[in-house]
Amino acid sequence: MIPLFLQLRVKQKNNRVFGIWVPIFLLWLILLPLLAAFSPLIFLIALILWKKGKGRLILFSYIGIFALIFNLSGLKLDIGARDRNMVYFNLQ
Amino acid sequence: MNEERKKILEMLADGKITADEADRLLTAISQNSQNSTGETSRTSLPKYLRVMVEPGPESEKADRVNIRVPLKLIRAGLKLASLIPKNAQDKVNQALNEKGIDADLSKIKPEDLDEIIRQLDDISVDVEGKETVKIYCE
Repeated sequence: MIPLFLQLRVKQKNNRVFGIWVPIFLLWLILLPLLAAFSPLIFLIALILWKKGKGRLILFSYIGIFALIFNLSGLKLDIGARDRNMVYFNLQ
Repeated sequence: MNEERKKILEMLADGKITADEADRLLTAISQNSQNSTGETSRTSLPKYLRVMVEPGPESEKADRVNIRVPLKLIRAGLKLASLIPKNAQDKVNQALNEKGIDADLSKIKPEDLDEIIRQLDDISVDVEGKETVKIYCE
């Protein structure tokens, strides 16, 4: 499923936690129509370059980008040290 | 609340285990109970690859890392990696070799990932007492 929110939390040295929810679905609202609008052009370029061997690369890379975006949900990164700030990223 | 669940929560409250460890134990208990009630093995298929780096007693200031990557994302990444041109793959392989990783990117297929998941039970590597690296699927 496509991630809709990015949960960003920073745990400071004094154990204070600062967290925000970033509504990344707003980004998809802009990006996905753009990607969809460019689709015919991408398919055309892929078709033209198919015989040169680059068409397959362009077409499958384009599809692969969609696959990556749609499978980002659930990605979680927590990075930090005991005596420094700890940063948490969570895509939901 | 059953006895096992209560014991885990007590250990968490006492600070004997971390929240992540408690989460793993509770997940394992719920999976066991699901399996015992006749659930199909399909429900227990792992969805995420977890990599945890915990600093050892000698390196309190070292970085802590806790990464959870969806396996679907890895599969999608492997499909994209197979599209990398041959000359670029050679450069990637060379860079991996320089880091001490003997791997051939062109030979890793999405199907191989399923085999790795089946074999990957719970790997724990202790790096010279400095840090512990745990890799497992959940």
